[in-house]
Amino acid sequence: MTAVGELIYRALEEGRNKLLEHEAYEFLGVYGLPIPKFALATNEDEAVSAAEKIGYPVVLKIVSPDIVHKSDVGGVKVDLSSEEEVRKWFSTIMLNVRSRAPTARVAGILIQEMVPQDLEVIVGSTRDPVFGPVVMFGLGGIFVEVLRDVSFRVAPLTEADVEDMIREIRAYRVLEGYRGSPPRDLESLKKVIFGLESMLSELEDVEAVDLNPVILYPRGRGALIVDARVVLGEKP
Amino acid sequence: MSSLKDLFNPRGVAVAGASRDPTKIGHLILKNMVEYGYRGRVYPINPATDEILGLKCYPAVSTISDGVDVVVVSVPSAKVLEVIDDAGKAGVKHAVVIASGFKEVGNVELENELVRRARRHGMRVLGPNIFGYVYTPVRLNATFGPRDVIPGNVAFITQSGALGIALMGSTILEGIGISALVSVGNKADIDDADLLEFFDEDPNTSVVLIYMEGVNDGRRFVSVASKISMRKPVIVIKSGRTEAGAKAAASHTGSLAGNVALYETAFRQSGVLSVKSVEEAFDFVKTLSWNPLPSGERVVVITNGGGAGVQTSDTLADDGVYLEKPPEDFAGELRKMVPPFASLANPVDLTGMASEDWYYRSVKLALENREIDAVLVLYCHTALTSPMGVARAIHRAVTDAGVRKPISVAIIGGLEAYEAIRYLTNLKVPTYPTPERAAHALAAQIRYRRYREHLLKRGLSGG
Repeated sequence: MTAVGELIYRALEEGRNKLLEHEAYEFLGVYGLPIPKFALATNEDEAVSAAEKIGYPVVLKIVSPDIVHKSDVGGVKVDLSSEEEVRKWFSTIMLNVRSRAPTARVAGILIQEMVPQDLEVIVGSTRDPVFGPVVMFGLGGIFVEVLRDVSFRVAPLTEADVEDMIREIRAYRVLEGYRGSPPRDLESLKKVIFGLESMLSELEDVEAVDLNPVILYPRGRGALIVDARVVLGEKP
Repeated sequence: MSSLKDLFNPRGVAVAGASRDPTKIGHLILKNMVEYGYRGRVYPINPATDEILGLKCYPAVSTISDGVDVVVVSVPSAKVLEVIDDAGKAGVKHAVVIASGFKEVGNVELENELVRRARRHGMRVLGPNIFGYVYTPVRLNATFGPRDVIPGNVAFITQSGALGIALMGSTILEGIGISALVSVGNKADIDDADLLEFFDEDPNTSVVLIYMEGVNDGRRFVSVASKISMRKPVIVIKSGRTEAGAKAAASHTGSLAGNVALYETAFRQSGVLSVKSVEEAFDFVKTLSWNPLPSGERVVVITNGGGAGVQTSDTLADDGVYLEKPPEDFAGELRKMVPPFASLANPVDLTGMASEDWYYRSVKLALENREIDAVLVLYCHTALTSPMGVARAIHRAVTDAGVRKPISVAIIGGLEAYEAIRYLTNLKVPTYPTPERAAHALAAQIRYRRYREHLLKRGLSGG
């Protein structure tokens, strides 16, 4: 079985319809998508050695199939710059989760590279009963939440389709560069969109993928996915 | 799957459920076929009668010796399978199932069985739950709708029955010529994509209009629609545009990807002109089917009133079409004719003094000018001129001009204006009662031109 097949198989065996965050990253990595450096730690020592390998600063996030909103249970801590901080917050997060979500199954804590903040975009893909795999793109935050300023395309995608869908959002000018903010790395963005398309076209078990947010850096400097949700469908 | 060639060019058509009773659908369809002058053979099927409307009756399709490509099935749903089996054994290629009482009333199993049986006989099914179909090149009107459909180059596919029949009547009233009119009903087998594939190849069709509730295979629709749109414009009225796409979904993307958003995306991606209303659709059909495709986007507006001119420049701008200064030589010629206070920017305002002759000369000059791609003519009814006189002048200019170019006309006024609109419409000059509708319909041609160029470019880049 392929690495991807194994991840899906394990999740479905355990009765989960979502991949855990570290599984999702592993999965996206196989498809060549830009993911941050990460590792799963089940104890403090593992956390520290992971953090040292990744390089400080790091982010710690609880990994549990039962917790959707990680921050609400005190399950996230960003910008940790030393071994002491990692040790301290590893145990704090574990305690927080144990007291606020006592029944949640915990797989460990994700140690993730602290990614420089920049423009946030959302890229998603879902399997529609009529149109099959479709991809979505928009800017993050209020652009998607309030204004629903997103565009879609139906697979199979051509280069022109992806260019059109990027240009189609009302906030496109933000990507072109605006008031001193530089133009964005649209080539990297296109690769992310194509990556999601091939994922849904090739893997029938995958029902939807949300990459929210993807940090989109200035032209030539790439993009990084900092949160990913991979939803699996019912076994036929 | 076989092509639909024999559905539209059948050697002979059998009508199962043909009746002598003039109130029965089986009678009305046969009557339309006979009276509209179908060029192939017609075989009424009715075991209880010898002859209907002067045609010899047959007890079953299988008793006709040969040459039946289509059976129109107008019997109660419970008897449809019997007809399918009989016609299938006789080698009939297409069943046009008028009968209702299938999926639309929850009878899914019967509909599935209908398709299974037909497939077993290598037969394609149009319907069920339809009012029939028309193909004017062979004078085939196998519907129980209006008889005297005007032959032309527009293919009209409708998923709605009652509205479809009514719109069939509207095409006659609006002077819209039809190549084909197809009621698709439940689309158990033949769907929009199959029909688009046929119309793409059909030399008698140059525009397709679809009234759509939904498609079963969206991906195939996008692929086929993208292909035909490179050659012929497809206009879609999609019902349920405002239906809240709030479906429960496990993903964020899923919840944002509502039904409405995805259909709009699919239309845009495949170069289909999506319209909001029947009026808009018919307005577009006139420019797209009667005019040639514009070779550029340079529109000149000729008017006798400033207000009408401004209305069109706003409408055009809303559609992404911006007016530029008219060519020097064109303005120069006009200057010799119009009063000194006339504005010869774009819109070109001939002023309220504009005579029929001024209209003739300015429209002809605009059509013949190489730096003008499309002409929008506006006429507000004044005391000096009659709408019919101006309409005649415009038509003469179109006929006398050495070239064919997209034109759209607005004649604004009362009853006389209405008659002038009818006059130009009958001569296939797209003419409307308001400046906005004339402008929007002309802009549709530019929109289609952009879609088409985009599709062609995409096709070349190996899409």
